[in-house]
Amino acid sequence: MTDYQKPIPAIQPWTREFWNATKQGKLLIQKCQDCHSMIFFPKKVCPECWSDNLCWQEASGKAQVYTYTTQMDMVEPKFRADLPYVIAMVDLEEGIRMTTRIVNCNPEDVTIGMNVHVVFEDISPECSLPMFQPADETLRRLPPCIDECESLATRSGSPVSPDTYETIIYDIGGKNGAVCTITLNRPSKYNAINYRMAAELIDAFRRVRDESSVGVVVLTGAGEKAFCTGGDLEIFPSLCEHKSSLNWLSHEGLDVQRAISGCEKVVICKINGHCLAGGLELALSCDLIYARESAMMGATEINMGLLPGWGGTARLPRSMPIFRAREIIFSGRKDYPAKDMYDMGLLTRVFKDDEFEEQVETVVKNIASKKPEALRMGKEIMARSVDGCDIETALSVERNGIQWLTYAPDVQKMMEGFRQKPSDLLARQKETNLRSDNK
Amino acid sequence: MSKKNLAIIGVGEVPTGTYPDRSPWDIIYESCIAAVRDAGIHKNDVEGVIAVAPQAQNQLAGEISFGKIPEELGLNGCRDVCTCNAGGASTSNCLRLAEQYIESGLAKIVLIPHVTVHSTIPVPDLINFFAKAGIDLQWEYPFGNTYNSIIAMMTRRYMHDSGTTDEEMASIVVSLRKWAALDPNSIFYKKKVPSVEEVLSSGMVSSPLHKRECNVLGDGGGAMIVTSAEIAKKMGKPAAYKRGESARYFSAFTTTRNNDEFVNGFRDSTREALDDAGITKDDIDIWNTYLAYPVCHPIFMEAVGLCEPGQAGKMFMNGDTWPGGKMPWSTIGDAVGRGHTGSGVSMATYIETARQLMGKAGEKQVPDVKYVFQNTSGGSGMNFIATVWGRE
Repeated sequence: MTDYQKPIPAIQPWTREFWNATKQGKLLIQKCQDCHSMIFFPKKVCPECWSDNLCWQEASGKAQVYTYTTQMDMVEPKFRADLPYVIAMVDLEEGIRMTTRIVNCNPEDVTIGMNVHVVFEDISPECSLPMFQPADETLRRLPPCIDECESLATRSGSPVSPDTYETIIYDIGGKNGAVCTITLNRPSKYNAINYRMAAELIDAFRRVRDESSVGVVVLTGAGEKAFCTGGDLEIFPSLCEHKSSLNWLSHEGLDVQRAISGCEKVVICKINGHCLAGGLELALSCDLIYARESAMMGATEINMGLLPGWGGTARLPRSMPIFRAREIIFSGRKDYPAKDMYDMGLLTRVFKDDEFEEQVETVVKNIASKKPEALRMGKEIMARSVDGCDIETALSVERNGIQWLTYAPDVQKMMEGFRQKPSDLLARQKETNLRSDNK
Repeated sequence: MSKKNLAIIGVGEVPTGTYPDRSPWDIIYESCIAAVRDAGIHKNDVEGVIAVAPQAQNQLAGEISFGKIPEELGLNGCRDVCTCNAGGASTSNCLRLAEQYIESGLAKIVLIPHVTVHSTIPVPDLINFFAKAGIDLQWEYPFGNTYNSIIAMMTRRYMHDSGTTDEEMASIVVSLRKWAALDPNSIFYKKKVPSVEEVLSSGMVSSPLHKRECNVLGDGGGAMIVTSAEIAKKMGKPAAYKRGESARYFSAFTTTRNNDEFVNGFRDSTREALDDAGITKDDIDIWNTYLAYPVCHPIFMEAVGLCEPGQAGKMFMNGDTWPGGKMPWSTIGDAVGRGHTGSGVSMATYIETARQLMGKAGEKQVPDVKYVFQNTSGGSGMNFIATVWGRE
């Protein structure tokens, strides 16, 4: 309650009693004792007869929805975390109309004429806000225990799943469904990241963990202009508010990075156009980065007096010699050709524009043909190793990881064959070597 | 019929757009000089300046209300100056005050300017302003109300009561944008007019209100030169003559607004303005309405009896209100079509009224216009000012 960041009512001396009563769970209506008018909003004198002989009457708390709206977008940063939420005008039994929120139900279940009952949300030592919930208990939904992903989904609009993705495309394909392609799909906005896209990326990369057929995830951008140019301008108004700004970095930002780098599949970034600012940071969270020769790259945050905030200052220096990483971050340039980035040590490979699709497809096909469990183990072992543990620890992680792989049932079955007939192993190795030599 | 003694004899505009590189004063210079030249007068003929107060621009509001416009423009004949603020209804009140300046003999010619440069207002200030404009800080704001949400609730109720469909509501935007596409002063000039489907496929902001049913903030300015009807006649140039007026106040906030009073207020004030002008609604050639969002267009059309209850949406859908239609409607496309310049859309609507009556409306000129109905409204629909303008 003390943490309440949203606006609280601007209480007047003559409305204090109303708000005091809300702390006791009572909804009061002001009444003129002379002309018997019911008064709302409460006034200093009766607006009908100017009498100051006013009193308060407790309302039943029962009301009907006169009209309502589900707020989906374009709200003050302070309310953004609540999205979507239902604002309504309700008619109290006592004949007055008030603006409120309809809570504890699905927005889709709210209708004009719906019967509702008052509930109070405690927001400050001085007052609680009178909200309304469906009178019909079967329509009531308790506020969910939201984990990070659900919270983001709520903030960014409708529930998040592949069927409802609005800003990305989630497609499983390749031989035996071994490749999942996640495409940033806001080409008219240079695939810039908004709240919705952040929520969908987190959902998609967490979801793909459970796709057992998938070994490789390809992250790319729709259209020909850009892979991704970073945070969308539409999120900037929300960054004017300190907590909201921090949340964009520590909720959306960190969770997107973690969802990608912690995804238990090999994530291949396919940079098909401009890759700037937050777009570069998405790429840095991936395992392999392939770029089209004409792609331009850079970290532009410093041009606004900021720094990369979605992992750029941590991952760039870990991805290339630090003196080069510093130049990228300090210069604010957005015109580093992909080839320059490669020469500086960042990218896996750069392909000519007309060969790009085909070459990346070959790489993806090859890696996707490998055993998903081995790729997963490889990703984790190397991640721990480059994180800076000492060499003995790194070697130990490697040893034990490989030992685990070796004792997988399918590998053991193959080993059993070789144990019983060692000549098979010899013949198979010979055949493999010959095939390789003849390529 | 009451005596009306006011005529608009000159207009000037800076097209609505985005001009972060232009100071408000740059825009004031351009629009005021254009209006003076359009009127064919000398700058020193201006004896009064009554400016629309610029919303959300405190520094500029201070400068203008403390008399900077006559000084900056060198209006050496100016005898007095003031600003007027009633939100979107400001321009109507500037005109009323100008009538008094003229009637009292203080001034023969009055300049009425407006400017808004939203693009240079710091984003936190803009958010802060529009989050609270027309919304009560005690009984509405803490629940997360926005300007869009109060309009969305009004839209939902109207659709529920009238049976108007999503497609019919979207067709209001289509109609407004058709006019805007013909208007060189609109941000949507020559831009593709969205289809009903495109309006409905734009993102939901506050159900049932889609993005394309909301306004785009813009920068711009406009100015009018007004004088007495006698002087205008003597000048012998095309002018727009004020013929009738009436008004109703409803409430500061939508929560406390009685819907019947609201609808009846539209009807009664319009009828009174027409009576004042000595004409009937059938004499009106253009319904030049300024209602900010789509929903009040059908509410007004039905309230005034221009169609059967619940049928207004069809009028917008079947083209009656479009350019070339039988009922030319909001011929700059209202705020949805023009771009929202604070109180400036009402100024732009008056300028359009004058242009249509003067025969200067270009591609959107309606043939043989004798009478134009024009309204303004302030705040979140606090009032309704109905006026009638004629060619003579």
